[in-house]
Amino acid sequence: MCCPRGRQAARRQVTLAFGRMSCAFDSMTRSGVKFRLLQSDYSDRVKGYCMKRVTRRLFLRGVIVLGTGAALAACAPAPTLEPGPPASPTGVAGVSGARPASPSPQPVATSTPSVPSATPLTKAQTPSAVPAGAAYLAVARGTSPAEITMRAIAGIGGMERFVKKGYDVIVKPNICNANHGPEYASTTNPEVVATLVRLALGAGAKRVRVMDYPFSGSAQAAYARSGIEEAVKAAGGEMEVMAPMKFVETAIPAGLDLKSWRFYQPILEADLVINVPIAKDHGLARLTLGGKNLMGTIENRPAIHRNLGQRIADITSLVRPQLTVVDAVRILVANGPTGGNLDDVRETNTVIASHDIVAADAYATTLFGLRPEDISYIVASAKMGLGTMDLSSIRIEELNV
Amino acid sequence: MSEDTRKRLKGEGGRMKDGKSTFIPNPSSFILPHRVVQGLALALFLGLAVYSWRGLRAPAPASTLLHLDPLAGLAAMLAARRWLVAFIPALVLVIGGLFLGRFWCGWLCPLGALLDWLSPHPLAGRKPDPSSRWRGVKYSLLFLTLFAALWGNLTLLFLDPLTIFLRSVGALLLPALNWLITQAEVGLYRVTLLRGALETIDTALRGALLSYKQPYYGGIALFALVLGGVLAFGLVARRAWCRYLCPLGGLFALISKASWLKRRVTEDCVSCGACARKCPMGTIDDRKGYASDSGECTLCLDCASVCPKDAIRFGPDWRVDRGWAYDPSRRQVLGALGASLAGVALLKLGPRAHHPYPYRLRPPGAKEETLLSACIRCGACLTICPTHGLQPSLAQSGLEGLGTPILVPRLGHCEYSCTACGQACPTGAIPRLTQPEKLLHPIGKAYVDPKICIPWSGRGDCIVCEEMCPLPEKAIFLREAPFTDNHGETHTFLAPVVLHERCIGCGLCESKCPVNGEAAIRVMVDPMS
Repeated sequence: MCCPRGRQAARRQVTLAFGRMSCAFDSMTRSGVKFRLLQSDYSDRVKGYCMKRVTRRLFLRGVIVLGTGAALAACAPAPTLEPGPPASPTGVAGVSGARPASPSPQPVATSTPSVPSATPLTKAQTPSAVPAGAAYLAVARGTSPAEITMRAIAGIGGMERFVKKGYDVIVKPNICNANHGPEYASTTNPEVVATLVRLALGAGAKRVRVMDYPFSGSAQAAYARSGIEEAVKAAGGEMEVMAPMKFVETAIPAGLDLKSWRFYQPILEADLVINVPIAKDHGLARLTLGGKNLMGTIENRPAIHRNLGQRIADITSLVRPQLTVVDAVRILVANGPTGGNLDDVRETNTVIASHDIVAADAYATTLFGLRPEDISYIVASAKMGLGTMDLSSIRIEELNV
Repeated sequence: MSEDTRKRLKGEGGRMKDGKSTFIPNPSSFILPHRVVQGLALALFLGLAVYSWRGLRAPAPASTLLHLDPLAGLAAMLAARRWLVAFIPALVLVIGGLFLGRFWCGWLCPLGALLDWLSPHPLAGRKPDPSSRWRGVKYSLLFLTLFAALWGNLTLLFLDPLTIFLRSVGALLLPALNWLITQAEVGLYRVTLLRGALETIDTALRGALLSYKQPYYGGIALFALVLGGVLAFGLVARRAWCRYLCPLGGLFALISKASWLKRRVTEDCVSCGACARKCPMGTIDDRKGYASDSGECTLCLDCASVCPKDAIRFGPDWRVDRGWAYDPSRRQVLGALGASLAGVALLKLGPRAHHPYPYRLRPPGAKEETLLSACIRCGACLTICPTHGLQPSLAQSGLEGLGTPILVPRLGHCEYSCTACGQACPTGAIPRLTQPEKLLHPIGKAYVDPKICIPWSGRGDCIVCEEMCPLPEKAIFLREAPFTDNHGETHTFLAPVVLHERCIGCGLCESKCPVNGEAAIRVMVDPMS
């Protein structure tokens, strides 16, 4: 406010605000302790103010002032996520610049082209280098879901590779419906999820949230039905029901088909996103794996089913989970993604872990007797340089527990 | 100690104008309890409505409110021609009314409390009230409702005060509040500073007061019109709805004519007229020595609160209160009988009675005829449906079915594991089914429209409907549909086909179909059934 009138108006506001406070004091002290707070030259005005209470004009003026303030605050530029230096994990291989495209800066042969380097980094996109001695992808087999999860994570370098002290971690399992319990293999195994929560907390995460956005049934019902809520709470994590307000239209800089969509902001802003799909049958995509699981981070899912493969890859390019753990303890081989028939469930007792979502998905296809090339979003993601689907080019550690 | 105080403490009554002396407690000691009870009752009923609205799978206590409604109970029993034991609480109110008159209206009715506290009445006391003959309208409405129920029609329960209250809260006020708060949150979420606070508020409100899914109710304008009309009617006179129109009030008024507890004026009365001006029901008649009609008095005690002489007492009196100009007459009863016959015939002659609307999907297990003759239009099912896909019927089942529930899958499907509507229904119009039973009662059958369907019309792959089908053995399978374009090239897409022997008509496919406007797959009332 530069003009004198504006200054005057501002002074009047201040005067009135003081008047209001002293008015309250007056009424507080009127019947008790006798002390006059106000003897100054505008006490007359204050008296009038007390008598009149809030006039319409005063009220409207207050509303306008508040509204202007709120509008100014809302117009202030939202804090952009600075493409700061990527947190380099304890790796031998240094991270070559702020390039998130190649999942591994190690000289592991990937014939993937890199996406335009203008892509801004979100925190969740911080690349993870593969430390020495750790595998690019680990597969653990055994009858205890918790045990094989821990072994698979250990195989790729342990949770400490991904979690730094004080990290805000989001685990994104597949809890797509409230229809069936975990034995029907339509939702991620609760023990696998809980084990990841425990590992993340053990590695120093300050907060671990678990969430998904079911398409059938309320989130609360699905969380309970899947057994994940109970297991996660016992492990010390929290379940978050995804709030409508947090889906915000977000540009997808690397997107080839989808240029922008409504994404769940906390997932984009978390320090670490752990993607925990369950491997299962799906009519169009053929298999629901890590890439498909990321559809739980957006709103209005049915609308992206055209050109689904590329669109899933586009979503992956923005979310970029740094850790993907494919739950194949039980897999659903038909009538997916909701299932409901135990005859369609196979016990494969396997967990696959990798920092590379494309490699993890590519490996999971083999459990169904398919090849990575059969799944359109794996192909599209690999083409965009989000990871490698060439399983022969990476070091895979297979563990039998 | 003054004489007045002594009287009050001893609970001693005064002498009546007719010379009789009785032991009557002083009503002024009930003035505060009255307000407290009224407030608590409103809070309780509001709480029940909110609880059953949250979209969670909870037992449905909102219908408890309806079980207190003797009009809804009586009408539903007449129309459905069977006893409904769930309405035993209403019997308690009827017996209570035989003793305490219209205490329901003055002490418990949530709509009455809203009228007392929200309804504007700037003209009260300045203009004379309308002729008290208009009070007869509520009796006509009552008789009409009951006779129509006898012929199997319950449309008029749309005007029952409890159904108005429940519908207004669950399908009008809460959705509006939900929308406003969500919009505010979405706007403020852009301000990073506020996010922490917003998150706290949102977590506290969602699931408790607000729904995660914004409901959109057809007929919401009609609900607003009814509620707004009832409130705005206060412009005519205070509690004008209760005096002139309320059919449930009419039923309680009839009972209260013979009630045990009646208002009396003692000899101390100095005819100042303060009570007559204060009475919200306007029933205190200065020409009758400030006596009141026990069929109109709601025992609100406003008169006692203003009486300067403490001259108002409530005491036992079994005599039936007759002789008011607007008392129901034989002619009125016969008129209602005739009108009900004509009205029901009129409703039955609408085209929808003969040629049903093909998308008139009823909640699982509900049969059209039994639903129409048992649904009291309370909206408990609409507000508890977690997907908010249950909608009030507007034109879909004719005027006869106004306000009855239909499933509109485009707005929300029937959730595979949910049976909430049957649990919520206070009359059994929607049967109480277990989840496996529900699957045996198809709502309808899904049909693909190949003109719109993306793969069938040769525009690409889609299969969302197949993906969504929640059945363990999917009712939608995909077949290859070759499509030749104008260059002679053949493209093959996977196109959905519905297996009708499996489809349960839940409409999840329709609700998620990605085309704009109406879905390319729609659930219809099974045309083969």
